[in-house]
Amino acid sequence: MNRILIQGGMLCTMADGVTEPFLGDILIEDGRIRQIGTELPVGDAELIDATGLYVLPGLFEAHAHIGLFDFSQETTFSDANESSDPVHAALDARYGVNPRAREFRAAYQYGITDMLLTPGSSNVYCGLAFVAKSYGDNIFDMTVKAPAAVKIALGGNPKKNFGAYGRLPVTRMGVAQLLWDTFRRAQEYLAQQEAGQQPAYDADLEALLPALRGEIPCKIHCTQHDILTALEFANHFGLRFSLEHAWGAEEYLDEIIASGGAICFGPIATYRAPGERRRVDVTAVKALDAAGVNVAMVTDSPFYSEESLYHHIGEVVRDGVPHMRALRMVTINPVRQLGLEQRLGSLEAGKDADLILVQGRLGLDTDARVLLTMIDGRVVYQR
Amino acid sequence: MMLLKNGNLHIGDGRILPACDILIAEGKIQAIAPGLTAESAEVIDASGHEVFPGFIDPAAAIGASGLPTTQQDNDEHSDPVTPQMNIRYAVDPDELDAQAYYKSGITTVGLAPTHNNVFGGQIAVCKTAPGRLRERIVKEHAGLKCSVTAHVKKTYGGDHPRLRTKMGIFALWAETLRAARATAPAERSASQQALCAAFDELQMPVFAAAGSQNEVDGLLHIMRDERATLYLVDGYCFASALPQMIQQHVGLVLGNVNDYSQVTKHDIDLTKLVDLAAQGNLIAFTTSNGGLPSGRETLLWNAIEAYRAGVAAEDVVTMLTLNPARMLGVERRLGSLEVGKDADISVYTGHPVTSYAARVAHSIIDGKVVF
Repeated sequence: MNRILIQGGMLCTMADGVTEPFLGDILIEDGRIRQIGTELPVGDAELIDATGLYVLPGLFEAHAHIGLFDFSQETTFSDANESSDPVHAALDARYGVNPRAREFRAAYQYGITDMLLTPGSSNVYCGLAFVAKSYGDNIFDMTVKAPAAVKIALGGNPKKNFGAYGRLPVTRMGVAQLLWDTFRRAQEYLAQQEAGQQPAYDADLEALLPALRGEIPCKIHCTQHDILTALEFANHFGLRFSLEHAWGAEEYLDEIIASGGAICFGPIATYRAPGERRRVDVTAVKALDAAGVNVAMVTDSPFYSEESLYHHIGEVVRDGVPHMRALRMVTINPVRQLGLEQRLGSLEAGKDADLILVQGRLGLDTDARVLLTMIDGRVVYQR
Repeated sequence: MMLLKNGNLHIGDGRILPACDILIAEGKIQAIAPGLTAESAEVIDASGHEVFPGFIDPAAAIGASGLPTTQQDNDEHSDPVTPQMNIRYAVDPDELDAQAYYKSGITTVGLAPTHNNVFGGQIAVCKTAPGRLRERIVKEHAGLKCSVTAHVKKTYGGDHPRLRTKMGIFALWAETLRAARATAPAERSASQQALCAAFDELQMPVFAAAGSQNEVDGLLHIMRDERATLYLVDGYCFASALPQMIQQHVGLVLGNVNDYSQVTKHDIDLTKLVDLAAQGNLIAFTTSNGGLPSGRETLLWNAIEAYRAGVAAEDVVTMLTLNPARMLGVERRLGSLEVGKDADISVYTGHPVTSYAARVAHSIIDGKVVF
């Protein structure tokens, strides 16, 4: 049995009801957190001294395309957008990921231990997203859950992609039509199956069934007034969902709160321009969080760097959210959105030993630094 | 008249004056001292606040593009050689206002043409406070924007190619400059006049975009015998050319390192900023990357990356204020808290380089509170 004791750290567990760091130890056994307490007996455990350091659950990035986009060369490549048809729900993002993408390294060095990797947004139904650990050689071994969500995109991206060829959807009307039509067909498909009939196999509709049954959420790319379309659609079909990017959410606070949906907000540092980038300020986050909406902060890496997750939390703190509260937006909140709270997102007994040792107060001190990253009880980075 | 009381003043040159007052009148700083009084002045209490000269982005990409993807008035891509273009004619006040730069403490931007031309045009310096356009322009002809990046290849390497390689870019650079110099002054075209004004008459510095190592190395090599002051724009791989940067006294306008994961992409070593600054090379930051815009927040993000890499906080402040003012040749008016300078002042609730909790309490431009 492999046992590790992390001793004497200031624990920021992110567990419900714990709002302040406290001094304590963490016992890890075979890749999982066995016990959290004070002055735990060492026994045969390997010791990690965390004196003077903060211990946090590994950070969670809820919206990234690492390994699916690569901008390392002058000619960029994309395995993120199968932009050959607006309905491609069955695509599995795992098959697009290059596990050697450099951003994975940046991720675990900065303490992001787990992430949701998703197809891009050039289709209305973009494909299936999955959750992975950020360290490993083989994306299938790194996978925590697949599929973890259905990725859907509204607005300018599918419009631009298909409008260029004069194909549906050229407009937001067309996007909405495809959005509804596809899920209605999935509903009928499910009804036929449940009635014992054998509808002709349709891979895309099959892919939507877990979302229809509420087993996995839909992640709906939307900004500004597309938010209303997303809410109406998701509530109509009774979906679990999160609004992705959600720029302009401050104009739809009441509707979002009433919908029961979650938010993956970001990236936030875009220039302001009419249309989708009209309002991108982080101000909605504080209000939504205060109203009980599950908010996550996301970087869209590699579009914004994975390490900019710190700046994303920081801007939320700058807007007045206490930093321990803001840290939930990159730990337990996104994990809950994806239904993985039994395994990830907080320092609690029974969960994966994905955690970080940090010098300084992450999200508050700009020079806070990860000194050690552990994934599944294994030290994958040490400074 | 306005009196800013009891702030912790960061002068911009590295000095800090604790609990000090600033008297402002007619848009200028009139006095800096503790315990100032002025009967008719509006008083702003800055107790416990950190007071900075307004931040400056010397190579911003938004404010003169007519909002990207539509007008692109900063991108004269009819010819890779357009050094005579003056971006002042493209400044769009609505676009500037929409960015609300001042909400992030940025009071002045240098607006530059894109990276798409080898010799792209001339930079104009503009205040970020809404107001009459003519009064917002601090300076035109503040720098000649050049580029040796892949953007030039992308722009001119298409169906009717004019430039397809880095070799082509550098050959065009050398030949254009040679031809301009070989032409008698009276015979020179507007383009040639602009080139000679920058490269020989030293009327404006050269702001040249280069990102990857071969772009940076090539640029420093082709500029090795030039007298013009050179500022690398983006300059992600500056660290690999550190000796040349130091030897040639080349400054750096570090591009937005978080955009498109530049640190990872280029294996950037930001710790070398410390060495570069120690040699007196000017360093500043920009919100742009690749000549394309990002939001106002990213200037501070770059500053924080420099601080994380080991640059002292007050040196970072200088990189946000006095350095970019010097690069643009506007240091007599901007860039530090000194008597006689424009009253462009950012009042923060904390030190934004060291704490994310620091917010802009007041943004003052030309002596007026704009935020």
